[in-house]
Amino acid sequence: MRLDGWVFMIASVSSVFLLVVYCVGKVLFYAPKD
Amino acid sequence: MVATVARLWEARQFGLTHALASVATTPSANVYGRLIATLFETGSYMSEVKEQWGSRIGVIMAVAGSAVGLGNFLRFPGKAAENGGGAFMIPYFIALLLVGIPLCWAEWAMGRYGGRKGFNSAPGIFSVLWRHPLSKYLGALALLIPMTVYFYYIVVEAWCLGYAWNYLTGSLMMGKNPEAYSAFFSSFTGSDQDGTLFSSLFQPALICIAITFVVNFLVVYRGLSGGIETFCNIAIPLMAVCAICVLIRVLTLPANPQNPEQTVVNGLGFMWNPDLSVLSKPETWLAAAGQIFFTLSVGFGVIINYASYVKPKKDIALSGLTASSVNEFFEVCLGGTITIPAAFIFLGSTTLLSFTSSSFSLGFKALPNVFAEMPGGQVFGFLWFFMLFLAAITSSLSMLQPVMAFFKEGLGMTRKGSTLLMFVITCLGTGFVMYFSKNLAGLDSIDFWSGELFIVVLALVQAIIYGWVFGTKLGQEELDAGAELRVPRFVQFVIKYISPAFLIWILFSMLTSRDKVSGTLTMVKKLQDPIQLAGFLIVVGSMVLLWVMVFFAGQRWKREGRA
Repeated sequence: MRLDGWVFMIASVSSVFLLVVYCVGKVLFYAPKD
Repeated sequence: MVATVARLWEARQFGLTHALASVATTPSANVYGRLIATLFETGSYMSEVKEQWGSRIGVIMAVAGSAVGLGNFLRFPGKAAENGGGAFMIPYFIALLLVGIPLCWAEWAMGRYGGRKGFNSAPGIFSVLWRHPLSKYLGALALLIPMTVYFYYIVVEAWCLGYAWNYLTGSLMMGKNPEAYSAFFSSFTGSDQDGTLFSSLFQPALICIAITFVVNFLVVYRGLSGGIETFCNIAIPLMAVCAICVLIRVLTLPANPQNPEQTVVNGLGFMWNPDLSVLSKPETWLAAAGQIFFTLSVGFGVIINYASYVKPKKDIALSGLTASSVNEFFEVCLGGTITIPAAFIFLGSTTLLSFTSSSFSLGFKALPNVFAEMPGGQVFGFLWFFMLFLAAITSSLSMLQPVMAFFKEGLGMTRKGSTLLMFVITCLGTGFVMYFSKNLAGLDSIDFWSGELFIVVLALVQAIIYGWVFGTKLGQEELDAGAELRVPRFVQFVIKYISPAFLIWILFSMLTSRDKVSGTLTMVKKLQDPIQLAGFLIVVGSMVLLWVMVFFAGQRWKREGRA
């Protein structure tokens, strides 16, 4: 695997992972309960 | 008898279903009358208790479940590997930001607005967004797509169940013979000859389809909160667990002893090494935009229906983004790291390339080879196909609900009646797909017209209605009501100008695309094939049927003073 492959993979996977952690975290822990 | 006629005469004044129900309750009511009473509501729809989601997590899980499907694990990695690997992610994320998420938010806003006005189905919602007689007929597109896509999606769902069962019993552990897996696929799906699936009542695929149908309709019959929401709340975490188990197995696989170059790292490289030259090709951008549509269920008619059950003044901005991001997690983080690396280790790049162009070949022919060679392959094969089955079922449930909601509020049917009518219609459509199974032609025809062409048309209609009729100001207010996440103002600009332009470009490209060999327009070439033409006529026939129903629904809503 080339270095640019690592860069694209880590950037894509980590950005999506951070987005889902942020959203799910906000829904579960910061948003008012139903 | 006289009483029955008198009651039917009432239909002229009080509406068809009210009178039908009255007929059923007369002393002279016969078996037909009682049947009508079972299928149709006695009062107006507004008098019923409105269905709503049980919890916030429930609606997010249901929308995410609708979006997460086979495409996340089979279509996405194939498309990415074919279109420049890591470079594909550039147009992919641009399409996600410019079209995917903004249109999702638009659907959420329109859906909740319509729900507040008492409508759950797209024809009703469109009629309050755009006070024009034509609007409800445009809304029928959002019923057509989920209904006709269901015709073939349920078949693929049944394949997943069948494969999971065959792994559980060990029947699919057939050694290192690629031909054996292709033969199994042909025999199981009937792709070698038309009509083979109906040759016996005990055909494995027929049994799997029957089981899948029963499970789907039992869940939707239990209702929105008690059925779909409960099922998705269990299925999505279970899918994540199954996928993570398979991911760990794949990432810890040793190199292929026969070809030491075929390692998991090189498999990841096959998937992610970027080829930036593809960015200058319009096909790459089209493939990325198409994948975003397919994966987020945008233009499918599902989100608008699901959002209509959200309580007024409850957040939709954060819920919408969360549902989309959960879908992206399954697609990029799991789908992007499991399928291709696993197949690369055991098949190598040359063989793998021949499978990437077809999701079905990748999933149902290539991967069984991989599981056959993988340590613990039987367990991981079962986990993989069971996860695909769960992913498919959460999507297929979401295709039933929009149409059934319309049958209830438009035709005044009970839950039992709408379930039964939907069952009959989908059995007929699925029958076509199952009969014309040679080379999966029946499946391919409906997929092309509904699953590729009409979803772009519906997305365009929705973008125009939201941006130019409903208005971005009202749209922003709707998104902001109860919002726990501030939706940036530029999103409205994107939905009004950029998304429609992007969609028109995609539609134009589809309509003007030509066959690479003969040079004729793809549409024309498709229509010259008898089965493609039959699929087209089924889709058009379904549209006409829905328009007739929408006409009667419009009359009913007018009588009730709702539209």
